[in-house]
Amino acid sequence: MSEELTGPEKVPSPEKVPRPIDLEQIRELLESKKGRMSFCLSACAGCTLCAESCFLFRKHEEDPRYMPSFKVLNTLGMLYKKKGKVSREQLEQMKELLWKNCMLCERCYCPLGIDLPNMVAFARSILRSQGIDGVFPHSQGAPEPE
Amino acid sequence: MWVATMVFIGGIAYRVAQFFRLTKKKEMAYCPTQSIRMDSPEERKLRLVLFLQNTLLGRHPVMAIVALVFHFCLFAIPVLTHAHNLLLRESWGISFFSLPNAVIDVMTVVVLLGVVFFLVRRLVVPRVRAVSSFQDYLVLALAAAPFLTGFIAYHQWASYRTVLTVHVLAGELMLAAIPFTKLTHMIFFFFARTLFGTEFSLWRGRRTWSN
Amino acid sequence: MIIAEQKHLEELKQVLAGYKKVLNVGCGGCTSVCLAGGMREVDELNTKLTASFKAEDVPFKIDAIVVERQCEPHFIADLDRMVEKYDALLCMGCGAGAQFLAERYPAKPVFPALNSKFVGVNRDVGWYEERCKCCGECVLATTGGICPMTMCAKGLLNGPCGGPQDGHCEVNKDAPCAWIQIYERLKAQGRLENMCKIFPAREWEGQTQGSLVLEQYKDRYAKKTE
Repeated sequence: MSEELTGPEKVPSPEKVPRPIDLEQIRELLESKKGRMSFCLSACAGCTLCAESCFLFRKHEEDPRYMPSFKVLNTLGMLYKKKGKVSREQLEQMKELLWKNCMLCERCYCPLGIDLPNMVAFARSILRSQGIDGVFPHSQGAPEPE
Repeated sequence: MWVATMVFIGGIAYRVAQFFRLTKKKEMAYCPTQSIRMDSPEERKLRLVLFLQNTLLGRHPVMAIVALVFHFCLFAIPVLTHAHNLLLRESWGISFFSLPNAVIDVMTVVVLLGVVFFLVRRLVVPRVRAVSSFQDYLVLALAAAPFLTGFIAYHQWASYRTVLTVHVLAGELMLAAIPFTKLTHMIFFFFARTLFGTEFSLWRGRRTWSN
Repeated sequence: MIIAEQKHLEELKQVLAGYKKVLNVGCGGCTSVCLAGGMREVDELNTKLTASFKAEDVPFKIDAIVVERQCEPHFIADLDRMVEKYDALLCMGCGAGAQFLAERYPAKPVFPALNSKFVGVNRDVGWYEERCKCCGECVLATTGGICPMTMCAKGLLNGPCGGPQDGHCEVNKDAPCAWIQIYERLKAQGRLENMCKIFPAREWEGQTQGSLVLEQYKDRYAKKTE
């Protein structure tokens, strides 16, 4: 049971050493939705029409890093390509794409029916399982496995 | 030719089965009242203006039109070419109607110009370059090859037999590659656009991704 | 999530009459998800308003910007450098967002383009359901996760009224009786004793402006006495 957080002193300090990446856990998570995710990733034609539906893309003067397909291909796409064998640094780099560059307003649309919001949400949950969370940077992440 | 067709049909069947396996029918809303759809002339004009302005056609008209024309010709040419229909009649006794060769010629040029447009777009436009990989260029070449070789064969610019053989091989390769590369968007586009219940579905759309 | 609905065009035209340059501020949060005030809706409304005013030969220019969330000061801070150029702001966020904008730019008229309806859930595209009345005294622990304030037409706290027919509410005949559903849920969980818990009459905390300071932050915001 985690101790209760009842005051500012109880917030975990940022210097806490992060636990090592659990590659097996990542692999299992990737497997659990592999059918649907790899179907979507393989169907992406790179047409970039999804960019039109992202208000952040438009707001940031059409910066490609806000494009939904870019966000997904460089996070979930990379996770599947590397079969989950990633380092903590690589996961940390994905954090910005998943949390800063995306609000999960779920309005991005793909003419080919690829479910972009769910792919971002899934990538977020994989990162959170390793203790990396873009909303609460000092979060302890998911509970330690038994 | 048989191998390629079998691979194509088998591959497509596999992809479609996969699609249906990965999606499911969704529960629908209970809607007690009927909504009144306003259809005055002003409303219709407004819908047209919105369509022309706030969709892809309005924001990137060149891309929208080029893609539309390109894909139309892409589908029409293999089916409506006289040479193909002759072969079809020889093999299976059926054929589609054929367009005059001059028309097919122009359409092939349109397709090739479209390929050039997409290639340039992929190289020049930063947001497209950002998500382009080797597969994208390879697939573009794969799609262009049958049309280029067909064009050269028809005009008999080089050794006819060689070019024709390459044309047939290129066509088979493209056909076989469709289920396994991003070219599945050929089939997937129609399934997704009609069957998924999203904002933009073209039909009633009763399916959604299952977890 | 706050579910909101767009106001009718005529109402918006009435409030915007006389303003020549307007900025339409959308929201990437709740109103994007419920298809009321996101980027697409902002663009469409701008087109409709422009066309409508143009048909009447009224000079009118409306621009668009969508911020991540209007309920967050550092997101609407982006608007600081733009606001002077406009006569008025049209807000496509919820009521909270509209008020935040109005507070930040007190010299500019801020007009809401939406009616905030309720706190609800996203059943599917275009289908939203109210689930919470924000009464401030949540009893979901006792009712097996079904809110009697929201789901019961009479807002009863202590069991069904005796009016249900065939399991349906006597007030809203299309809806199931919330208390029968609560009973079934508690029964399935083996917690039927919760049906016997009696709630006194509500305090209805939601009538004055709600405010909440978290315990661990109370020192920070405490009034300093001389």
